Amino acid sequence: MKLAGNDMLIQSLINEGVEYIFGYPGGAALHIYDSIFKQSEMQHILVRHEQGATHAADGYARATGKPGVVMVTSGPGATNAITGIATAFMDSIPMVVISGQVQSHLIGTDAFQETDMIGISRPIVKHSFTVDHQSNIPQIVKEAFHIATSGRQGPVVIDIPKDLTNPDDLFDYEYPEEVNIRSYNPPVKPEATQIERVVDAIFNSKKPVIYAGGGTISSNASKELIELNSYINVPVTNTLMGLGVYPATDDKFLGMLGMHGTYQANMAMHNADLILAIGARFDDRITNTPEKFAPRAQIVHFDVDHSSVSKIIEADIAVFGQVKDSLQAINELIKDRLSELDTTKFDQWHAQISKWKSEHGLNHNLYKDNSDENPILPQAAVQHIYQESKGKAFVTSDVGQHQMFAAQYYHFDEPRKWINSGGLGTMGFGLPSAMGVKLAYPDEEVICITGEGSIQMCIQELSTCSQYKLPIKIFNINNLALGMVKQWQDMNYDGRHSSISYEDSLPDFKELVESYGHVGIKITKNSDLKKGIEEAFSIKDKLVFVDIYVDPNEHVYPMLVAPNGSLKDMWLAKGSKT
Amino acid sequence: MIERQLTLIMENKPGALARVVGLFHQRGYNIDSLHVDPIEDFSPYKFIEDELDVKFSIGEVSRLVIKTTVADSLMRQILRQINKLIEVIAVSDEDSTYLKGILRDENLL
Ligand SMILES: Cc1ncc(C[n+]2csc(CCOP(=O)(O)OP(=O)(O)O)c2C)c(N)n1
Ligand SMILES: [Mg+2]
Repeated sequence: MKLAGNDMLIQSLINEGVEYIFGYPGGAALHIYDSIFKQSEMQHILVRHEQGATHAADGYARATGKPGVVMVTSGPGATNAITGIATAFMDSIPMVVISGQVQSHLIGTDAFQETDMIGISRPIVKHSFTVDHQSNIPQIVKEAFHIATSGRQGPVVIDIPKDLTNPDDLFDYEYPEEVNIRSYNPPVKPEATQIERVVDAIFNSKKPVIYAGGGTISSNASKELIELNSYINVPVTNTLMGLGVYPATDDKFLGMLGMHGTYQANMAMHNADLILAIGARFDDRITNTPEKFAPRAQIVHFDVDHSSVSKIIEADIAVFGQVKDSLQAINELIKDRLSELDTTKFDQWHAQISKWKSEHGLNHNLYKDNSDENPILPQAAVQHIYQESKGKAFVTSDVGQHQMFAAQYYHFDEPRKWINSGGLGTMGFGLPSAMGVKLAYPDEEVICITGEGSIQMCIQELSTCSQYKLPIKIFNINNLALGMVKQWQDMNYDGRHSSISYEDSLPDFKELVESYGHVGIKITKNSDLKKGIEEAFSIKDKLVFVDIYVDPNEHVYPMLVAPNGSLKDMWLAKGSKT
Repeated sequence: MIERQLTLIMENKPGALARVVGLFHQRGYNIDSLHVDPIEDFSPYKFIEDELDVKFSIGEVSRLVIKTTVADSLMRQILRQINKLIEVIAVSDEDSTYLKGILRDENLL
């Protein structure tokens, strides 16, 4: 078959099984867009800003495990995609971003809409390609998808000069079946000797904790993790990125750990004698001061990425490989040796954890009086959303207090249901990522829990939602401020609230969303909270935006004491520390 | 902090060098000196060809020598980060070699 570059590119995506392309056209991508027009196997979703395209593709990828695909033009189209690429990179999300480029002979001349996309994106991609000849397009696309989806996953950029997509120049097209990149070898199976050492360590411990992160989700190892704990029955905590990988409603679940982790999760980590770190990378939001991290624990680290292990915290036992393979190997061995394990030796440890939980677990400082005299608590709003959606929804979020309340009070029982920007912390992520999730799962409930600050960073996508009829539910936890920044200013800057208020410039969100054809609901008092949220869930065929006015003075707790604190040093309420 | 020498074998492709140099900057490591040239005599690297089951031809692969001054504790991290770059085939310091995901306790390059 002979094809032109533009058709080759699109045919290659079809061969990869791509369903959706999220993008925005422009000069350097015009030939490609003509090829998109001529086919019907993939749907192009026209966003309103390229940042939205990248987050939508990212949300699609997080929810499905399949790579998200983005198409942008050169120059501003490419630079607008940067934030979304960085977001995907920090959370190891598989994504392929195709950027148009000016014609080959113009490169380096500061041509109209020329920008060095490969250079700008280099530190935030897993890899990138410049197409140098049409006949290489199929191979490059194949390699890009392979790299994006294997090993530690991540975004890959393909930059393609416009002349190489010219519809008049035809070349032989054949999509490669296999890919073999000699300089790229994602890790192989875990070593048997390491697996034995891990099982010994578990059998010798008295205070073990499983600390599982986003890598366990990327590796689709939730089932294996649950199976492991069915044998050993130890406490489990998840990172912000890992929520859902272990069922939150299981009695061995401690909640999230880290900066805004639960008291019992942070205390368990600090006092553990064995930490099984599974697809987690000891981020600074987890460890607090690394030198003071878990002083008595032996550390076992499961990771697919060599460079993650012993980067921050020295591992005593390292298990390289896909977490899924490693856990399968552990499970096999444990099954054989199960008679050696007496799980009653953990009883004292469980009792200690229950005590911590009853002393300072979540909820302990929420006032019970929910009369209209009191403002709505953001935590209560999330609890209602959890109940009304029966804990089954996909929930995307933005960045700030609302995100932490969502992570604390929406209890995820399944992986890939909690979709948020953990590593980069990108405000503006919530709405477009929800679009990607809704397109992937049109029959599932898709919720975005956002703040009035964050939502305004990609609010233009409300228009995309009306074009493609995406009945997402958006809950705007409206505290009239950049709440998380304000909290830090309260705690560290004597309450000097520098640039966290919009004064009286906020739009009326109800009217705003209605102008796009969506449904708006405004809730300002406790007595309307349940009713308003119920009403939102009763509307099935339209996007509903629920603007919930909450207590502007609420803080997120627990919160780690920094700098120089350990995981046992937490603020538990205003003015009260451990 | 002592000066260390790293040797890399990598694909001779446009942009590959920029990835290595970029990584040093991005991760806060300093480059004292850098030398790169295409490999013409493969005989010292035959073990790589055998190991990866490939055959290099002239002009395809380059050798890069970087001198850097870093704390000992960072050296392993630098090696691992470099090893992760997709166009790097092998990287060594005085003590060990990474050959695409496989660690050896000796300098093979
Ligand atoms: C793009 C971007 N800019 C700035 C920040 C820093 N930041 C973190 S949280 C936050 C406040 C977010 O406000 P809002 O969305 O209203 O959430 P709230 O904390 O009030 O719930 C800011 C500005 C960020 N995370 N992302
Ligand atoms: Mg706010």
